[in-house]
Order: sequence, then structure tokens, then C-alpha cells
Amino acid sequence: MHETTILQVEGLVTEFKSERGIVNAVNKVSFDLERGQTLGIVGESGSGKSVTNLSILRLIEYPPGRITGGKVLFHDQDLLSVSENEMLSIRGKHISMIFQDPLTSLNPVIKVWKQIAETLMLHQGMKKQEAKKQAIELLRIIGIPDPEMRAECYPHQFSGGMRQRVMIAMALSCNPDILIADEPTTALDVTIQAQILDLIREKKEQYQTSVIMITHDLGVIAEMCDQVCVMYAGRIVERAGVEALFGSPKHPYTRGLLESIPRMGNVGTQRLHSIKGSPPDLANLPPGCPFRDRCDKAMDICASQLPPEVVLQEAEGERTVACWLYPQEGKHGRA
Amino acid sequence: MAERETLLEVRDLKVHFPLEKGILFKRKVGAVRAVDGISFTVQQGEALGLVGESGCGKSTTILAISRLERITGGEVLFSGVDLASLSESDLTRERQNFQIIFQDPYSSLDPRMRAIDIVAEPMSIFVKKGLLSLSEEEIKEKALSLLERCGLSSIYANRYPHEFSGGQRQRIGIARALSLGPKLILADEPVSALDVSIQSQILNLLKDLQKEFDLTFLFIAHDLSVVEYFCDRIAVMYLGNIVEMASSKELNDNPLHPYTRALLSAVPVPDPIAAKKRKRIILKGDVPSPSAVRPGCPFYERCPKAMPRCKEVKPILTEQGKNHQVACLLYEESSDA
Repeated sequence: MHETTILQVEGLVTEFKSERGIVNAVNKVSFDLERGQTLGIVGESGSGKSVTNLSILRLIEYPPGRITGGKVLFHDQDLLSVSENEMLSIRGKHISMIFQDPLTSLNPVIKVWKQIAETLMLHQGMKKQEAKKQAIELLRIIGIPDPEMRAECYPHQFSGGMRQRVMIAMALSCNPDILIADEPTTALDVTIQAQILDLIREKKEQYQTSVIMITHDLGVIAEMCDQVCVMYAGRIVERAGVEALFGSPKHPYTRGLLESIPRMGNVGTQRLHSIKGSPPDLANLPPGCPFRDRCDKAMDICASQLPPEVVLQEAEGERTVACWLYPQEGKHGRA
Repeated sequence: MAERETLLEVRDLKVHFPLEKGILFKRKVGAVRAVDGISFTVQQGEALGLVGESGCGKSTTILAISRLERITGGEVLFSGVDLASLSESDLTRERQNFQIIFQDPYSSLDPRMRAIDIVAEPMSIFVKKGLLSLSEEEIKEKALSLLERCGLSSIYANRYPHEFSGGQRQRIGIARALSLGPKLILADEPVSALDVSIQSQILNLLKDLQKEFDLTFLFIAHDLSVVEYFCDRIAVMYLGNIVEMASSKELNDNPLHPYTRALLSAVPVPDPIAAKKRKRIILKGDVPSPSAVRPGCPFYERCPKAMPRCKEVKPILTEQGKNHQVACLLYEESSDA
């Protein structure tokens, strides 16, 4: 753990009970988040990226879900073992979250200012009038035109982009150490997406917030993040600095993902690369590497043994890969 | 591409939705101009992409062409026949020539039908109406071979939609669209609901099918890189209007309309080094309501290059170079001078 590490996730395991058995949605996930850093978590649906972050905030509904292992160290305390009351004072104040769909995550029958003020009254102990003033100020900061009038509106009177701005205003209201953004722009159009990404970047710089950015969009990762974790079937298969990851992807899954996106300015007559098959059933994971059935580099060992995370020392910094193609190149990491 | 015959010609297509007030006595108080007078042609074998943000009218255009939405004005000429004025029965016959692939592979398949029946249904309907003569056996055989052609093994043919993944369902939707041997495929965001690794499989499949069956595509997607990859030409829509139309390469290399430029610059590129160097044009505000009547350019409020004249004069699509049309006063003036 470096001095600047603000959050350390170690061996996190989250399971869900389903009719077909135990689903290991998150399977021994470990990563560090540094102060002021933007960490991207990228993966396809069902790869466990959202569940990882819901687990950090202990927002997993039980039953069917349960965090069964690991540690989440934040300011030297393990969030997985603190009391629910302590957790309440951490959520929204020290670690806050914005969700993909701003319409369902705002309360439709409460005026916008009240929803923002609620956080301020709870965590900052503000009185109602003071909190209202601050809420209007936050709306102004976040770029809502005519904030005094807009504060009196209900969420349905806002457009998708404005609603996401409100979510960001709420999330930043207590100046949190960490902002978790779960697909914050997936529901938005590209020009509005550009506005929102710009806003997150600007506020992050201004308040020195660390950001965890969850997305399936490799373009968003490239534009926003410093470090990237690639998740597949509940595990992190590769973790590296953004330029190293895009410049020379090591894991066959990362490579396949990067090759399968159509690129702008590359008007294609040739076929796109594609990863064969589809992601495995998490309730019924075979032994060995979960990616091996889709991997064009699969070897015998991949079918029987799960590849450990291997740390590679590179010029650009550290990288970890969980793939048998890189067995001896470095010391084993936290498998 | 060599000049080929025109398969689809859309002339001044308008789709307006009336806005009504009152409970018993409804009176019209205005209209949402979802599609407000667009014209374009699609050549046989070509793929034309329609791009734009939500509410720009791209899906309504496709629905109107297939007459699933009432056309307010204009003509839709398909091989010379105006679909907009056909009677219901003539339209049914014509429908075998154009089929739709929908965005959401979850809601566009009947959950109580088996995969093979879903693909066979259009053929069965045409047989019932006496527009097609195939026996039950032949229909089943054709449905099976289409499923296989679209990448679903015949062992899956008797399964229900919920037993398939999103990508597999989209394959069923594609097989269904092909079942009547259409000439034109109207694809409404066919890969938007899919994960990246599955998206490329489906795009490859569509490209292969296009070659194999000589298909023509009208292709909608909000993801510009997907449209650019798949389509020969692209039309950019804003608030019910086409603001720019050019070949994919030309549009990417030399975008003219301020909206197209902003749109292209807003797309995140999966390359961290290029991303840092790039200058983005961040547009202010949201897309205005399409119900407001405005005399000038639809993009006026958000345009970084707006001039006073743009508020009053609505620009029309004019030729700017070879096969490149743009509707913007910036270029009309330069051509006048």
C-alpha cells in the first residue's frame, strides 16, 4: 500500500444465490485506488464491474447477494467489517456514487433541490434554508442554467443530461474522497456525454477527488482514466496504465476487445476481428481459465488451472495479467 | 462504387405528430415535427447510415418508410412504387421486399414462440394470404437453414427466446428479417444493445449477408464508429432534418456542418494518446423541443458558428463538392460569392 493509496480492495468475493446454484459475480478482485487518480473498470455485461463497486459501498442486497470474502480498506478501516451506522456516514460523504440511469435513481416526487439538500443536511448538519442555498449553488456550479428556478422543478422536467448533472451535484455535495461513476453516460447522447465527461474531469481536478469509472465503452476509458482494470467473468484479467493497456494489451481478452471495436476514420471493407462465442455461465464455471473457450491462444494448462495474477515490471510501470501465456515473467501477485 | 439503380427514393418525407388539448373536444394546438421534410436516395446494394441523437427522427424515418407510422407528407418510392399511397393489401405484398431488424432483441421476439417458428412466421403469413406458395415442410426447412446461416445451430431451433443470449436473439431477428427474401433491410440500432465482443460478430454477419444476398441497408445507429464502419454513405440528422450527407470517408475526413463536427469530436476514441491531443467541440445545452415552430436553422441555438441570419433563414441541402451535401448558411454564402 503506497502512501497515496486511498482505497485498497483485496480478494473481494461476492456471491448471489440463484435457482441454478451459487453465482460468483465477483471472484477475488483486488485493486488499489490512488489519491486523485481515475481508475477505469471495463468489461462486458455480467463481468462483475458493477457488483464490485456496489460491494465496496456494501449495497448488495441480502438475500440473494452476499459478500463472502476479502477486504475493502479505506483510511485504514475495513469497510466490510464496520457497523451499518458507520457505513451510513461514509456513503455519500466520503464515497459517493452516480448511477447509469438518472431517471430511476432520482426520486420522482421530490423537488430537485430537496434531494440535493438531503445529503447536505444529513452529512454536513446544515439547516434547511442553508442547505437549499447550497443546493442552488451546486446546481449553478454543475452548469444548470437559471438554478433558482430549476431547483423548484421535479426530475421529470429535466432532460437526461440535466438529470445526470443533478446526480453529480448530489454526489459531489459533500466533497467526497472517492466518486464511483457506474456507466454515467451510457444512457446519454454523444454530445451530452461529452459535456458530462468534461464536467466530471473538471470537478475531479478541482476537488482532487479519486474516481472509479465503470463502463463498457473503451473510448470513455481512453479519454478519462489513468489506470484500467479489465474484468471478465468476475475477475480482473489485466490491470495496467491506460497507455500501456491500449498500446500493448497483454491478455488475449483485452486484445480481442480492442480489436473488435470499429474505429473512426477507418472506413471498413475488411471484417472486424471478433471474439468467438459468448461469456460463460457464472453459475456453472468450469475449472481453469474462464476465457479459455473463447481464447485463440488456449493451451492445455488453461483447461485445468486458473491462471494467477502475474506482476510484470514495465518501463511505464506495473502491470498485472492473469493468463498462462505469462507464467514466469515476474513474481506472482495476489492470486 | 459504380452507379447502380436507385432502390429507395425518399422525397420531402414529413412525419408530424399532432399535439392536442382538451378532453372531450380535442383541438390541435401544434405538432411535433419528428421528421420535417427529408429527401435521400439509396442505391441497390448500398448501405446508407442515418446518425443523430435521440429525438432527431431517425427511427421515425424508418418506421414511416415501412408505413408503421403515418406519413404526413412526401413520397417514399421503392423501385418506383410510392409506398406512401399504397392500399393496405398492396402494401402487404410489397412488405416482403423490405424488412426491419430492431434494436432490442429482448422485446422484439415473442417470448412464447420457438426460434424456428419466429423465423417461419412471416412465410406462414404470406402463404396464408396466398402471396407465397410453400409447403409446411419447405417453410420449416428454409427457417432452419436461415437460422444456421445466421450462426445458430439447428439444435437450438426449438428453444424459446429467453434461453438465448442477446447476441443469439439478434441472430434470430436477422434470420426472421431475411425469411421473405427482402431487397432492403431497415436496421434500427441492430447492435446497440450488444456487448462489444458480440457487436463485432453481428456486424460481420450483416456484412456477409449483404454480399451474399445483395442486400441494401438503411442503417441507424447512434454510435458513429459503427455506422462509419458499416455504411457507404452517411446522412446526419438533427431535429427532423438532414443537415449533411456524404460518403463515410468524406464525412469523417472533411465534415462541414458545425453539428457534424461537434458530433464527430464528441465520440470518445479508444486511443489514450490521440484522446489527449484532440480538441473537442463541446456543444452547449440540449436538443430543443421539436414541437416549437422555428423559421431558421434547427441547430441555431447550439451552433458555435451561428450568425444573425441563421435565426431567420432555414438552410437547404446544397451540393458542396462531389457527393457531399450540407445544409448550412456558412456554405451557401461562400457558394453565392
